[in-house]
Amino acid sequence: MSPAHDDSTGTSTMDADANTPSPSHEPVHMQTPALNEHMTPKPEAAEKIFELTDVSVRYSGKLAVKDVTVGIGTKQITALIGASGCGKSTLLRCLNRMNDLIPGATVDGSVKYRGQDLYASNVDPVQVRKRIGMVFQKPNPFPKSIYDNIAFGPRVLGMNKDRNLDEIVENALTRASLWDEVKDRLDESAIGMSGGQQQRLCIARTIATNPQVILMDEPCSALDPISTSRIEDLMNELKEQFTIVVVTHNMQQAARVSDMTAYFTVEVAEDDKRYGRLVEFAETETIFTNPSDQRTEDYVTGKVG
Amino acid sequence: MSQAGAVKAKADATASVFARSRPRYGELVIRASLVIAALITVLTTVGIVFALASETISFLGEVPLHDFLFGTTWSPLFEPPSYGVIPLVTGTLLTTAIGMIVGIPLGVGSAIYLSEYATSRTRKFFKPILETLAGVPTVVFGYFALTVVTPWLRKIGIEVDAFNALSGGLVIGILIVPTIASISEDALSAVPQGLREASFGLGAGRFQTSLRVVVPAAFSGIIASIVLGASRAIGETMVVLLAAGQRPNLTLDVREPVETMATFIAATGKGDIPTGSLDYKTIFAVGALLFVMTFILNIISTWVVNRYREEYE
Repeated sequence: MSPAHDDSTGTSTMDADANTPSPSHEPVHMQTPALNEHMTPKPEAAEKIFELTDVSVRYSGKLAVKDVTVGIGTKQITALIGASGCGKSTLLRCLNRMNDLIPGATVDGSVKYRGQDLYASNVDPVQVRKRIGMVFQKPNPFPKSIYDNIAFGPRVLGMNKDRNLDEIVENALTRASLWDEVKDRLDESAIGMSGGQQQRLCIARTIATNPQVILMDEPCSALDPISTSRIEDLMNELKEQFTIVVVTHNMQQAARVSDMTAYFTVEVAEDDKRYGRLVEFAETETIFTNPSDQRTEDYVTGKVG
Repeated sequence: MSQAGAVKAKADATASVFARSRPRYGELVIRASLVIAALITVLTTVGIVFALASETISFLGEVPLHDFLFGTTWSPLFEPPSYGVIPLVTGTLLTTAIGMIVGIPLGVGSAIYLSEYATSRTRKFFKPILETLAGVPTVVFGYFALTVVTPWLRKIGIEVDAFNALSGGLVIGILIVPTIASISEDALSAVPQGLREASFGLGAGRFQTSLRVVVPAAFSGIIASIVLGASRAIGETMVVLLAAGQRPNLTLDVREPVETMATFIAATGKGDIPTGSLDYKTIFAVGALLFVMTFILNIISTWVVNRYREEYE
């Protein structure tokens, strides 16, 4: 089988390669044998990739989220849920230092990624974002061709020097289950795609840079139910290889896709200022069936929010 | 009251809900004055083109088109006169080219700095300054070129004449920086923040994001700013009149004096040539050529913008 590919430069082994990570990937992408030998490990027991301790974020001095302590497991999906203004997106953006782009944003406490403090003075946020990619609420493809959208990250990171760019593009689109839909129009503008396709393109674009973690900030809130369900399927496939942290307003989505769930709430301080707090962090099943906090129960059963 | 009357009254009452109570004179007046404003602009342009064309045709009745466009000596006031416009064209292109070489990097560079790097406080400080620069009369720039830039060029070892193309061109470059910077900055700032976040999220740095995402997305606006700058540079009169001299000189040596098309028009127009004479008509012929050049520039830029634009919505 040889795929129709406009930009293909000769024969390649794309098909063999399409669904499995190539050997040139960083070793961390390989399946850990020890993990497979166990029955099904409890999500709680997973090795932690992020350790957050007493993290508070302020925007120009105004508290947005206070004292969050949480550990995020490797190769699982962690959902952050809660009402608007509870600080879940703010917290997500701490994980790859995206908050740096907002003037006046400050982060207190410690955010450790594989034991390394992301906010240490010698850390380059650009290097952080190379390993921790992000998918946004509103699909934001570049106003370039579909091919150039996927190729952007690899080009910027210089990945195309040792691997064929066409191969990277096909591989990423295939893993985002978008290849069959777009393989004949790779040179068309991504702006002409539907919203759901654009969002899968944005996921493919992130996959192409081979990150360790993918942060998703309400990735389906602008999409119809069918596109949403495709993205959820995709997330389930991707967690084989990536750690995913997803912010969502949709509780069913959190229940469907995530292994662990963190519930946040809005607290009102004495001076009437509002800020977010973590109420409960547990296995998703526990959060939705047997939460330990009354506020969590009220939220997941639909009594509030 | 009869039944028929009652029905009629009811019908009237229903109609009156939507009926116009009285003609809206105010609206008519506003609309008419807006139409007049638009018409005056169009008619002025038509009038200019017509005036240029009629005098130019009359000029070309006395001087063959070929001699005008391809002649290499411009000496309309000498005996025997020669009407080859090439020296004026090269003079114009020379000072414009120098101006663009200075103006594009400075203008686009400051736009990228203001839009992508500067904090909002710095931006609030710099933008008004830039716009003030745009308001400085060009005659001031002209004397700046003549009395500051030319001596300065000599000091650093460039043997320029008292009047020279280099000094005029450099100052034209500074003159068009605000035009290019201001319009480019608007175009860059209009690029959605989501595109920048997408780029940063993929591990691109600020410079890569600016160059590979923001600038391409704002490309049509940047080109528009450059074309506007180029049009200003081509038509710029006072700076070159004061700094580059008035010698129709067929040269590419930037140290020598040159005369541009706009300079010729201004200097000859203020002289005492009689209306309707051939010398008088030369002004219009050169003006028409200048008009055609800027017009072609606009067409090329429209083509470039349509060919390379990246629409982000």
